[in-house]
Amino acid sequence: MNTMLDTLRSDGVRQWLPLVTLVILVILVGTFQPAFLDVNTLLQLASDTAVLFILATGVTFVIMLGGIDLSIQSMASLSSVVVALTLARYGYAAFVFAFGLGVLAGLLSGIAHVRLRIPSFIATLAMGGVLYSAALVTSRERSITLGESERAYLGWITGTLFGIPNVVIIALIVLAIAHVLQSRTPFGRYSAAIGAGEPAAYASGVKVDRQKIFAFVLSASCAALAGIVLVGRLASGSPTLASELLLPSIAAVVVGGTSITGGVGSIWRTLVGALIISVVRIGMTFLGVNIFAQNIVFGVVLVAAVAITIDRSKIPIVK
Amino acid sequence: MPAARRRWRIASWAPLIVLVLLCGIITLINPNFLTFGNLVRISQAAMIPLVLGMGATFIILMGSIDLSVEGGLTLSAVILSMLVINGANENAFGLFGVLIVLLVGAGVGFTNGVIHVRLKIPSFMVTLGMWFVGVGAANALLGGMAIRINDPMIRGLAIERFLGFPWGVWVALGCLLVALVIQNYTRLGRYIYALGGGEELAALSGIPVGRVRILAFTLAGVFYAVGGVLAAAQLGLGNAQIGTGRLFTTITAVVVGGTALSGGQGSVLQTLVGVLIVVVLANGMVLMGVPPSVQIGVQGLMIIAAVALSIDRKRMRIVK
Repeated sequence: MNTMLDTLRSDGVRQWLPLVTLVILVILVGTFQPAFLDVNTLLQLASDTAVLFILATGVTFVIMLGGIDLSIQSMASLSSVVVALTLARYGYAAFVFAFGLGVLAGLLSGIAHVRLRIPSFIATLAMGGVLYSAALVTSRERSITLGESERAYLGWITGTLFGIPNVVIIALIVLAIAHVLQSRTPFGRYSAAIGAGEPAAYASGVKVDRQKIFAFVLSASCAALAGIVLVGRLASGSPTLASELLLPSIAAVVVGGTSITGGVGSIWRTLVGALIISVVRIGMTFLGVNIFAQNIVFGVVLVAAVAITIDRSKIPIVK
Repeated sequence: MPAARRRWRIASWAPLIVLVLLCGIITLINPNFLTFGNLVRISQAAMIPLVLGMGATFIILMGSIDLSVEGGLTLSAVILSMLVINGANENAFGLFGVLIVLLVGAGVGFTNGVIHVRLKIPSFMVTLGMWFVGVGAANALLGGMAIRINDPMIRGLAIERFLGFPWGVWVALGCLLVALVIQNYTRLGRYIYALGGGEELAALSGIPVGRVRILAFTLAGVFYAVGGVLAAAQLGLGNAQIGTGRLFTTITAVVVGGTALSGGQGSVLQTLVGVLIVVVLANGMVLMGVPPSVQIGVQGLMIIAAVALSIDRKRMRIVK
């Protein structure tokens, strides 16, 4: 068992494992269901992956630092409720407002985590509760369906450009921004440094707290954007709209090969991870697995992926 | 050290003072709070969080966390609904069914513990996975239905009363007693404290750290299964949403009671106080006409406040 794990953990294998898994899965599903490899089906797959990918992108930054964000699904739901409620009156400003709320929520999570020194999983669990509560209260605990006039504002989400669905383009823009942030800015390099070894990063003068807060802001604002895209796709907002998305999002990050101990990871891995999750979901739907029961598979996949990617030398005491 | 210890003792009384103040304020605003009927209502609302909190306290005392509360509870409740007299099949296992459900809970907890210890995966990640595996398994068993429970003994836990309180409340008090005995009078209880206080030291002193952790998670799983039985009795149904929101209440109760997330400090009695604070506050908000959906948000803020107040910053150089 352990030797098998060691082989899987050796760097060469570990780096390519997610991509190989993705290719094998695509071939597998494609063999059983040739229609799957059709351009339209693949574009549909890309559109379906977009929301998951945006959520996973945000949380990637937090996980790279060795933290976790358990509030993304509540933030996305709240954002969907806010857009659905304000779209009629404020038009496009509703999207800005929802996104701004995401920035604010991330700022609060980050400050609670960094200044009050509360472990991130508990700070974001609590923040998730606050956000969920806010969504329940503002929506009066029901789902809000958008009218014909409000849907006119959703064209930038539902439309297509040169045959490519706009959601896919939004996801690609997020990917591009995240890539630049990660590889071309001080934030990206500091994140990698903090994830690799926090005391060393601190001692070298990295403003650890500020980087961490920024990562939480990114995570929550990506979640808010995901909520906005969800409103576009479903033409409704609800306080539980995204509640099934927490597990797949974190699974996407980890399956892609980003280690929850921090330091190792990238946005491209998250892209691969998100695609793996989507293909697995399609495969399971094809096999007739109940959508809720699919969580069993994702739960197992999550733990297995953590087991493979985690760097045990970093945590002498596992709690 | 004596000074530090004295300070801790005062800190451990703070939740109780909060509870008394809370009761006082609510009584001033609405005297109906102190009626016997309301007391019974509070005890009914407190019984399930108390049982769940007993399990979670042991885990948090070790400095770990268990996010699989809802998974264990939901799976237990659904399996129970399929084993006792019900509206979906001919089973009528009665008490034997309850026993099976407790074993299922133990199995869930044991799996958590083994994966956590043997594969060296942080507990929050293992139990996050188990949370969804449990709820997913419950969903798969139900196939989108809800199963009505017709077993008079199970329903009796919520309906039949002894000395004015439903049997479920007595079951919860029994769990508290069991947890107290484990905490104070068994080796497992003392080892759990030792682990939370400093794991390296505990390991060097010859404590079988891995085995203690697995046992603690198994024990927690059994408590969640009892919570599942009580929840199924209260609702009269086995459905897949039966656990929603319970993780949140459980963790709020444990940390508001003053058990430190860093481990080693706290007790099941403090969790009792924490449960009562959460339940009394919820009850008070209902009496004052605050919508129930606000309560989750209030609990979230309580978690942040309680953790921020109780965390021992000197012991944590890096917070992740």
